[in-house]
Amino acid sequence: MMVKKVNLGIIGLGHIGKIHLRNCLNLKSARIIAVADTSKKALNYAKELGIRRLFTDYHELLKQPNIDAVIISLPTHLHVNCAISAIEERKHILLEKPIAAKLEEGEKIVSVARKHDVKLMVGYPLRFSRKFIDIKRKIESGVLGDIQVAHAINIAAGPFTHQVESNVPSAVPEWWFNKDMTGGGALIDLGSHMINLTRWYFGEVRRVKAYFGYRFNFDFEDHAICIAQFESGTIAVINVGWFSQKTQVSIELYGTVDHTFGTHKSHSKVITAIQLILGKNHAFFIPYLNEVAYFVGCIRNDCQPSPSGEDALRDLKVIAEAYENPILF
Amino acid sequence: MSLVGLVECKTRNVDSIKRAIGEAFRLIDYPLPKAEKIVIKPNMCYYWDWSTGQTTDPVFVAALISLFREEISPNVKISIVESDASAMKCKYAFKYLGYEKLAKDCDVNLVNLSTVETEKATVKVMDEVFEFMVPKIIMDADLCVNVPKMKYMSFTKISAALKNIYGCNPYPKKFEYHSKLDDVIVALNKVMPFNLHVLDGLTVCGSKTLRLGLVMASQDPVALDAAAATVMSINPKSVAHLKLAEREGLGKIKFTAKGADFDYFRRRFPQKSLSEGAIAFGYRVACKLGLDKRLI
Repeated sequence: MMVKKVNLGIIGLGHIGKIHLRNCLNLKSARIIAVADTSKKALNYAKELGIRRLFTDYHELLKQPNIDAVIISLPTHLHVNCAISAIEERKHILLEKPIAAKLEEGEKIVSVARKHDVKLMVGYPLRFSRKFIDIKRKIESGVLGDIQVAHAINIAAGPFTHQVESNVPSAVPEWWFNKDMTGGGALIDLGSHMINLTRWYFGEVRRVKAYFGYRFNFDFEDHAICIAQFESGTIAVINVGWFSQKTQVSIELYGTVDHTFGTHKSHSKVITAIQLILGKNHAFFIPYLNEVAYFVGCIRNDCQPSPSGEDALRDLKVIAEAYENPILF
Repeated sequence: MSLVGLVECKTRNVDSIKRAIGEAFRLIDYPLPKAEKIVIKPNMCYYWDWSTGQTTDPVFVAALISLFREEISPNVKISIVESDASAMKCKYAFKYLGYEKLAKDCDVNLVNLSTVETEKATVKVMDEVFEFMVPKIIMDADLCVNVPKMKYMSFTKISAALKNIYGCNPYPKKFEYHSKLDDVIVALNKVMPFNLHVLDGLTVCGSKTLRLGLVMASQDPVALDAAAATVMSINPKSVAHLKLAEREGLGKIKFTAKGADFDYFRRRFPQKSLSEGAIAFGYRVACKLGLDKRLI
């Protein structure tokens, strides 16, 4: 029997929303019905890619009866209201990480989703990167022995990445400068990826402490070094920062038998350029494509997606504990 | 021919830089004038701090302030100016790039030129008339000091003294000028002529970032830019806005270098390779074709 295509809506067409949009257009098992964003420029971008139903108010998108699921890629502080509105309209959700800026908001999203029996997945693309999946298999197979120490790194320019579209440099959105809207700095932004990844590998965190750095003089950290002890006994150092022009996303694992290293990076500039000219995906964003394909598959096969809302909530609890336990020099 | 002073400064601290700047002023026979109000225009370009070589080092500006306080007057009123741009807001850049801390430590004002009183001014470059809003603080200053960096730039080949004054235009949507950037750079320099140009070449950004340790000064922005272009192995006469600036009487491309060995810095500057130039050109073509939208 042919399983019907999943009809998707995308809410929020910032940097990540645009990645999702382009990826969804490459999916055979789904189609984009509508997008919503307050920016006309962003909606024009979607229009150029062939999207016909464009909304400036996401509530209008959520009222579309033929939409099965939505991808929410809004600024973090807007997650709670948008996710709850979507759940109330019985739409399944792929919500960008972090689940929310505040724990209580995350708890609310999870509990309302559970009550309405809506599938809630939180976007952690590293879980869909071939390199990191291979590491998970190695850990489970035992070839590394018992993992005693891990070092996870996610260092980049973060929101300060210089982006240019059609020769026009893009401004850093204002909300990134407001801690109440983001929930914090580099730790909640980039650290959430690495905390989720290490929890996937090693299980739950027993306790966590973190050093916070403020090179750029804001009231949110631009780098953090988190030390987490897991129930399994593994100690992970999670090193994240927004201070570098060079991106590094990697993890090193030191087991009692063997060591391993995995990194998530782009192809060379030349290969990337050729791929782009051919209209293919930027290699760095392939895990995002795998992620949305998996989410669509979960809806088609009626199974619970992972990382779930509960999973992301546990990440947020670890982050909250780290903020409460600063290491001071 | 205009004088350009070159001094090597190997250490990044206020005293060493101050000595180097003072030496550069002596090399170009520039006695600091009497002044009550000084405006300093560093290069703040996006949220890239001094260590990238893209923006003026606040320690360099602190050294300049200290020199002015010593040589002109301890009570001289100093303002550091910058304007909002397409991708950069002053209120965040001042903090991010370390200027908020500098202002507190050195007791100087930080001024966002996009939010201050301005006066309309018209200026003619070649046959075209340009109209700008000129910040009053610049018009009222006794001494305007330009503190640029030296960088490659895809649209104008180089960015140094003349290009840095582009940032004095209070209008934030600066990308709108990109189609006639050379003319606009010259027009802005004509409408806001700065008295002194001191280039922060301590850390530079060429094909890579490097601690070059160069301080250059001149009263002539065209000469200073010609010197910077030469250090970067670019023929100054191939830079359209330099040729235009000379034609419009802003200075001379031919310069006399005094002080440190010019070739020493030229050899060390991280020059762009042909392949990098080709990639930059290809990227510009891709942007024109709208292919960059695929980069997301």
